[in-house]
Amino acid sequence: MLRKLAFTGIKSRIRDYLVLFTGLVISSAVFYMFEAIATNPEFLKSSTNGMSLVSFIFQTGSVLLTLISLVYIFYANSFLLSMRQHDYGMFLVLGARPKKIGSLILAETLVIGLISSVIGIVIGVGLTGTLGGYLMELVLQDKLAHFQSLYLPAVFITLVLYMVLFIIAGLLNRRKLIKTPVLALLKGEREPNRPRLKPISAAIQIILGLGLLASGYFAMAKLTKLREIGIFFALVVIVLGSYFLFNAVFVGAVILLKKTKWAGRGLNNFTLSQLSFRIRNYTKILATVSLLFALALGAITVGMGFGKKTEMFSQGASAYTMALRDPSAAVKKQVKALDLEQQASYTQKKVKNTLYFEKEEFDQNPLQDVPDNWFDRAAHGKVQKISFQKLNGSQLQKNPGALYSIAQENFDQEIKLVSTSKFNALQAPRQEFYLFRVKDIQKAQPQLEKIVRTLYPKKHQQMRTMIPGGYASYLQAKQMFGGFEFMGFFLGIAFLAMLASCLMFKILSGANSDRQRYEMLNKLGVRPRVLRQSISREIMTLYALPGVLGIAHVLFGLQMFKPLLITPYQGIWLPFTIFIILYLLYFWVTVKLYEHIVLPKVEINR
Amino acid sequence: MSEQPIVSAKNIRKTYGKKDEKKYEALKGVNFEIQPGEFVGIMGASGSGKTTLLNILTTLDQPTEGQVEINGKNISELSGNAVADFRANEIGFIFQDFNLLENLTNRENIALPASLQNVSTAKIAPQIEQLAAQLSITDLLDKYPTEISGGQKQRVAAARALINQPAILFGDEPTGALDSASTTDLLELLTDINQQQNVPILMVTHDPLSASYCQRILFIQDGQIGQELQRNGQTHQQFYQEIIEKLGAFQSQEGK
Repeated sequence: MLRKLAFTGIKSRIRDYLVLFTGLVISSAVFYMFEAIATNPEFLKSSTNGMSLVSFIFQTGSVLLTLISLVYIFYANSFLLSMRQHDYGMFLVLGARPKKIGSLILAETLVIGLISSVIGIVIGVGLTGTLGGYLMELVLQDKLAHFQSLYLPAVFITLVLYMVLFIIAGLLNRRKLIKTPVLALLKGEREPNRPRLKPISAAIQIILGLGLLASGYFAMAKLTKLREIGIFFALVVIVLGSYFLFNAVFVGAVILLKKTKWAGRGLNNFTLSQLSFRIRNYTKILATVSLLFALALGAITVGMGFGKKTEMFSQGASAYTMALRDPSAAVKKQVKALDLEQQASYTQKKVKNTLYFEKEEFDQNPLQDVPDNWFDRAAHGKVQKISFQKLNGSQLQKNPGALYSIAQENFDQEIKLVSTSKFNALQAPRQEFYLFRVKDIQKAQPQLEKIVRTLYPKKHQQMRTMIPGGYASYLQAKQMFGGFEFMGFFLGIAFLAMLASCLMFKILSGANSDRQRYEMLNKLGVRPRVLRQSISREIMTLYALPGVLGIAHVLFGLQMFKPLLITPYQGIWLPFTIFIILYLLYFWVTVKLYEHIVLPKVEINR
Repeated sequence: MSEQPIVSAKNIRKTYGKKDEKKYEALKGVNFEIQPGEFVGIMGASGSGKTTLLNILTTLDQPTEGQVEINGKNISELSGNAVADFRANEIGFIFQDFNLLENLTNRENIALPASLQNVSTAKIAPQIEQLAAQLSITDLLDKYPTEISGGQKQRVAAARALINQPAILFGDEPTGALDSASTTDLLELLTDINQQQNVPILMVTHDPLSASYCQRILFIQDGQIGQELQRNGQTHQQFYQEIIEKLGAFQSQEGK
């Protein structure tokens, strides 16, 4: 009978349960997506060229994500309990035994946990497959070795961790329900927690928070020296620092704002009270969200950074995409069909181990080359787009270095530029040395692949990285950095999903108890526009605070990637802009959903 | 009385249920007027249409037919912000379940309607003190609603309803959640407000004791005003007896 009653209780609040459920499903799906990479050593090794630090970064990431899931599940759980406590209080009043009620809430927590984790893992597998496949196609035009969407160790870890967390949560729920007096259960959490400003404690927390964050940021900057310890240290102090800072600054700011004149106008005081009412609840989740924000934005920025690096490498490797010898008419036709920026044709003769070129040909049509200091300048973020230097015959005759890099067939081959008469006198067949540069290697990749296949029908897989020119460098850079780029985007999107669900969930779960307040305000004669304004201000604060701290985390965290990316800060405005637009979109959706729940319908119908 | 009535309701009808659905008529043509300074009660059994009528009078709901004028304004013509402003400026509200915002202190609750009109906190402070003294809640101003008793909450709610000096005060079973001592306190308070500040009060109640403090009682029955009782200078104990008898007569009528 009680079971049936409990079930009808769930049915009557199906919308709240959907919010709860969606949040948990997304959380476990994202956890699985992360673990599918983090627990797959072969994939990590092959896509990051066996860097030992990478697998440690992922292990630490797992710890961080476990912490985040912990906060999330415990929070979700208290939401569950708050939804149920009135019902269970009522059962107790009607004479149900506390033990029975206790096992009922434990069972409910576990069932919800199990179902949501299983669905989450299924969705996680699906997303890993589709999103992973899509990103690989987009970033690499290729498959990464050992990448598996259904990776059993990850399934196992996700399921075990979530079940353990839910069992703990369920036991806590049970304890809390049995210990709480029946009347308190019935009345619900109406008690205001009066926020008090304790200046000394707040000052200590701010100093402590800033100090912890600073030392965490410092550790990330000195990662090459500190290695594993540095990562772990940074993780611990940044988590704690974020929490202290939020606790002190958030509470303090709201209380100080309440004292200003501004608070006395319109609904401002109400909005501030809304924030301060559940302030302690919010600090934990906001600190968590700032971390998720940093993880998501950081991953995407680093991913884009690696993409940029690939581009820089292929651009700076050579002035030409490919250098071909005596290309057939068929190959030339394929080349002509490309979106070309530059092409050149020279004549060469090979005598013994020396390669001869005609000086006059280069005087008429100078060879293009990457400027000597380009890498250096690019590394300091000074140039975005390369401008090639031109080398004529006399320059090349003095120093044929530029030709060596693109024309040399083996290490001890010599290259000489000679006058037309000398060239003609050489006893060797004439060969065409054909060079071309496409506008965009990445876009031209499918056609370039076809050219390689026409050139080397059998050994194209080996030869594609051997043809002199930028394409081979591009492929090598992809191999080196593409794995990082892929993981950056993949995890960035996953974290973004979790961030959104975390914050939206937190805000919407409070919406029900707010409904009465907004109805009240409506009866008091508050204009609908003012109500909306109050709502969007309240939610904006909750979005902005972790956003600002999250951006600080990323700006300092990028220091970690200096050894790998050289210029991690170059062009970060792009990922930042994209990310902030997405974040604003989430904000807008949350506001609309919240308005839908709390705003009284009568007024809107008018 | 030659003065313009504060409330004038003409032929109000309210039908629930959409097209093609079974319709239910909650109000079937209600007519009445309330004169300045009156203290009027509306009584009726549950389901008689009391709440619907009050919602329409307070612009929370719209009548299907008919028109309501309050303080000379036709409220069914108001829309959007005008409705909200009307509620904020012209009427005061006291509810059965107090409806105080538990995340604001009592002082902030009382100040809210004024600050919604952008009256500065400094300007409103003396007014709050004065009202608080009158309602004996000075000591409670800086507490939160959850820290005070039901009777005290209703005094705070009354202060909030009065802060904007409304043209009329509406009560929706204001004594419904109070014990008998607090009920008497509140009713005497409302009588004081009505007599000393000349604020008209319209109160919906099903409690004969509460009703006995009114000067006039409208009985609503099956969506229409059935009977009317005038106090005519009786003490409220005498009036109480009359109400009880009337209700008894109703009940035996309905029982037949």
